[in-house]
Amino acid sequence: MRHLILFCCALFLLSSCETEIEDFKTENVSSAIVVYGEISNVDGPFNVRLNYVSAYSPYDVTQFSGQPISEANVRIVDGSGKETAFYEKSKGYYLSPIGFKGEVGQKYKLRIKLLDGKTIESNFQTINSAPELAEFSYSFQDATKVEDMRFPLKASIKDPKATEDYYFVKRQDFRQFLLTCPTPPPPPAPTPTCNCLCWQAPQNTQPYLLDDFLLSGKNLSFDIGQLPYEDFTNWVVQLDVYSISKETHTYWKRLEDQRKLNGGIFDKVPAQVVGNLKCISDPSQEVLGYFMVGGLTQKRLTVDRFNGIPAAAYQKLGFYVDFNNIRRKDIPLWNCKDASFIKYNLGYSLPPL
Amino acid sequence: MKKGLRVILLLLLCGSTLHAQRKGYVVFSGKIIDVENKAPIEGASVFFSGSSEGGTTDSLGVFSVTIAARSYQVIARSLGYKYKTFRLDLTKNAQTTIELERSEQLLGEVVITAEKADANVNRAMMGVEKMSSKTLKKLPTLMGEADVIRSILLLPGVSTVGEGASGFNVRGGNVDQNLVLLDGVPLFNTSHLFGFFTGFNADMVQDLSLYKGGIPSMYGGRASSVLDVRVKEGDFDKWSMQGGVGPISSRILVDGPLVKGKTSLIVGARGSISDFYMKYFPNPSLAKSKADFYDVNFKLTHRFGKNQRISLSGYASNDGFKFAQDTLYSWNTKTLSFKHNALLKGNLSHNFTAFYSDYTYGIEGQKQGLEFLWKPSIIQTSLKEELSKDLGKSGRLDFGAEVSAFSNDAGSFVPNSSSSKIDKFAMSTEYTREMAAYMGHSVPIGKKFNLDYGLRYAYYQLLGPGDFYQYKLGTPREINTITDTLNATSNDVVASYGGFEPRLSFAIKLDTSFSIKIGFNRMQQFRHLLSNTMAVSPSDIWKNSNQQIPPQVADQYSIGFFKNFTNASNAVFETSVEMYYKNLNNVVDYVDGAQLYLNPTVETQLLVGKGMAYGAEFFLKKSRGKRLTGWISYTYARTFRTIQANENQKEANFGIQFPANFDTPHTFKFVLNNRWTNRISFNANFTYTTGRPITYPNGRYKIYSFNDLYDYAVATGIFPRPGLAQTTYTYNGSTYSYLVSKEIKELLDGYSTASFTLRNAERIPDYIRLDVGITIDPKPGKRWQGSWNFSIYNLLGRQNAYSVYFRSSTGEINQAKTYQLSVLGAAIPSITYNFKF
Repeated sequence: MRHLILFCCALFLLSSCETEIEDFKTENVSSAIVVYGEISNVDGPFNVRLNYVSAYSPYDVTQFSGQPISEANVRIVDGSGKETAFYEKSKGYYLSPIGFKGEVGQKYKLRIKLLDGKTIESNFQTINSAPELAEFSYSFQDATKVEDMRFPLKASIKDPKATEDYYFVKRQDFRQFLLTCPTPPPPPAPTPTCNCLCWQAPQNTQPYLLDDFLLSGKNLSFDIGQLPYEDFTNWVVQLDVYSISKETHTYWKRLEDQRKLNGGIFDKVPAQVVGNLKCISDPSQEVLGYFMVGGLTQKRLTVDRFNGIPAAAYQKLGFYVDFNNIRRKDIPLWNCKDASFIKYNLGYSLPPL
Repeated sequence: MKKGLRVILLLLLCGSTLHAQRKGYVVFSGKIIDVENKAPIEGASVFFSGSSEGGTTDSLGVFSVTIAARSYQVIARSLGYKYKTFRLDLTKNAQTTIELERSEQLLGEVVITAEKADANVNRAMMGVEKMSSKTLKKLPTLMGEADVIRSILLLPGVSTVGEGASGFNVRGGNVDQNLVLLDGVPLFNTSHLFGFFTGFNADMVQDLSLYKGGIPSMYGGRASSVLDVRVKEGDFDKWSMQGGVGPISSRILVDGPLVKGKTSLIVGARGSISDFYMKYFPNPSLAKSKADFYDVNFKLTHRFGKNQRISLSGYASNDGFKFAQDTLYSWNTKTLSFKHNALLKGNLSHNFTAFYSDYTYGIEGQKQGLEFLWKPSIIQTSLKEELSKDLGKSGRLDFGAEVSAFSNDAGSFVPNSSSSKIDKFAMSTEYTREMAAYMGHSVPIGKKFNLDYGLRYAYYQLLGPGDFYQYKLGTPREINTITDTLNATSNDVVASYGGFEPRLSFAIKLDTSFSIKIGFNRMQQFRHLLSNTMAVSPSDIWKNSNQQIPPQVADQYSIGFFKNFTNASNAVFETSVEMYYKNLNNVVDYVDGAQLYLNPTVETQLLVGKGMAYGAEFFLKKSRGKRLTGWISYTYARTFRTIQANENQKEANFGIQFPANFDTPHTFKFVLNNRWTNRISFNANFTYTTGRPITYPNGRYKIYSFNDLYDYAVATGIFPRPGLAQTTYTYNGSTYSYLVSKEIKELLDGYSTASFTLRNAERIPDYIRLDVGITIDPKPGKRWQGSWNFSIYNLLGRQNAYSVYFRSSTGEINQAKTYQLSVLGAAIPSITYNFKF
């Protein structure tokens, strides 16, 4: 009987059943133009990408990205009317000239003239002063099992009092990885140099969004999770913290709300999220995307997973590493930089901050 | 306001002059009571052989009929009672008391309506559905819970956005446009467990009436429908106890006399038991969850003589829900009402009601350091006087008035512990006042026509104290178009609205079993539930009409054809076709992505537009029979909204008309009750509904906001570059691996998101559900009466889509997937034991 009750309750509370619809086809694919660009107070170059919308087809690789829009005249206009032209580096990818960067307190807008004469413009957005990180640290959390050992991360933004502030945070992780060196050739052949410590950078495309509603003037902490203890190598976490306008925050919040829909009964009804751009020459031309302007602070935290770890934990990891074969012992390689089987293998060094 | 009252008084005077006793006619009046407990039976009918006259008892069990003086065979009947017939020689005005015996334990006919046999044809009103508590309990259930709102969803014209969604939609109206009265007290939330169950105990229900159209003038305040649920009274003669144990909740009901024959009490309580076993779940999230609810009702009734009584009723309901998070949702309702009914001189019956209702809802944040409490509430205090005068041949005149005061607290957000670093955010409490007066006259015109007409005048005031924002005219409302703040002091009238609500129903009887009816009713609504989610949630706030948000007004026009057929074995089949057109003015909609919570300028998030609904309901019902009863219905119904831009707002959906979330054109339902033996009956119900509308994407795009690393790698030549990959070959059964050159390059990826197009332009798959159940009634004559109900909800185990949604993420394969969610995706068996002694 108890099992029946448990069964019924589980059915009742959890019988939400999710199934993938694999043959979903987009009808009447949108002809909207997608623009995305951003500038900040740090050194450029800044980029603007122009594309068309693609079909909603998960398994069609030709629809992975929308078709780029070439030969557009892309300019940034500041509050004083000064224009800065971008150049097209590759199809649909436009870069700012060397030396251009935004100034705190100045307002900017994006103006694009397409080859077919359509003109797209954003509204003016002002670069706020760059935010300050109040805390960005890690600790080690021991556990009985090595799988449960963690490096909890902490981050918080120092929010100025008496102003309404909004933040957008990008996170990029860099993980050092080790490869095993092959067996050296027998003498007298010289032993080649073995470079087995490289960086990989798992790609992340999800932002953290914060605001100081009800917390003005306080440290705004945000949950950046924890790192695993599955190797002795370093792990670097980089945070790019933007101070943005309320409008920009609302735009991203709506996108995030829609991304997190799970079909539940209290989901909001999905709707097109329109940004701050519009086609001024042809109002019927839909424009999606955003021109984001913000004061930026970038900071990196290196998590040392070798020094300062209790000996017992360290020893447990030794066994764990061996057991799980985390390091690529099955593919010995003299130079880890050559490993194409590591996603986003950057080689020996990190990009400069 | 004054003009409105004058018109009502004039109508009242006109109505009363219609009353005059004709020569050769006498007044036959009396009372119909239960033979066992002597309780008056409301809604019982009296018929006279060879006459089309008849009477219906009021809440005191009293009826009065003006009829030609001669001999009759009189039949008195009521739902759940054996009918009684006797000879009557009428020469002068006479009075009598008729005692009816309960029919529940005898092999009488099964009746699944709360009305007399031909009421559907005879009365002028249409769009009315009545259901007895007995029918309610015989329907197959979800998890063994007899449920009021789940039951009315089986009626034509009633729909929902999906399984487990709170509330119901009637003829294209929103959930908040239904006036749900529990013994005369309006409820602001009718759900337990978000919407899986109704918030009040079906054991306490005497009967229910759902008015989809032809709404009598005594009801007002909501735009679309009225669900009037009457609560039982305690027995005046003996004590009894009943209860039930089911997998979700257990319940108990005790009733009996405090003073025999004079004072009775009924108390019912129901509580969830899920918390007891939730902790045993192996899933840690579930073990930390909480999903409990309870509700309690009581009614204390005292009789003063034959024609007067008072009653005090109370209802409390509470829900708490936490699913493995640090957020506890809760909602609760408390009501207390006092009633005084009396039959005054001249066949005038009076019902006075005073009630207090408090609906509090909200969220409690329990995350350490960020503990908060947000508890909005609505408190309503009302006084209502309803008078009903039996005019004999001239029908019945109803008139009355009500006054209500509301305080609507939008809920301040406050820290809930000393260590919480949350700041307090104060939201205001709004005060409103509503007054209404009404009259309604139900009159037969000759033998062929019946007319119900009425008029209600409702007046609304939004009062101070508080700050109320004025917005710049000629531009869409936004926070930066506020031009002024009105600091109103206590009782200052900030905004007021009022209007007449005419109600009309007219029936033409072409013969004794066929009638055609037409109807019109207007309803106004001054309070709106703000909800931009798929289904309404218990944390959705109620907003009063103000200077920017006018009251919603619904006009419904309807026509119906009603025909009853009798077969060789005298079984009556009721058939009807009802068609309606509803015009909804000032419906509330939302800007895309509206922020409705903790927003002092929430009117900037609201849009006001028009709605339209039309449909046809085809209905075949066998409401009486020895073995088989039930109904079949098919409904074609559409409901749309149009939100156009004007000088004060932007448009929604480009100003193009779109179907409402609950627009389901085709609905087919059947309900079947087949009595196998005296004690065992089989029940089944089936529902087919067109899938509800949904907004599908018309594409997908990427926002290249996270490509600094990719751009750097490309710019510096890191990507693409030569690299090595391992591959293998097999020779003589052994596998050898070797390295081959492979270019290292990565995909340019971005934040992937869907592009959406017109609102609700597509539909989710159709909904099909079959439920079956077997009820074993107690053995007759035993003191302990135990009954069983076995049900299988969704027998077909069909995974009905609740929604189809789109999830985007990074990566070549995961970038854009489509999922279908079923809320209850399996057949759900349940067993419930009910007892009474």
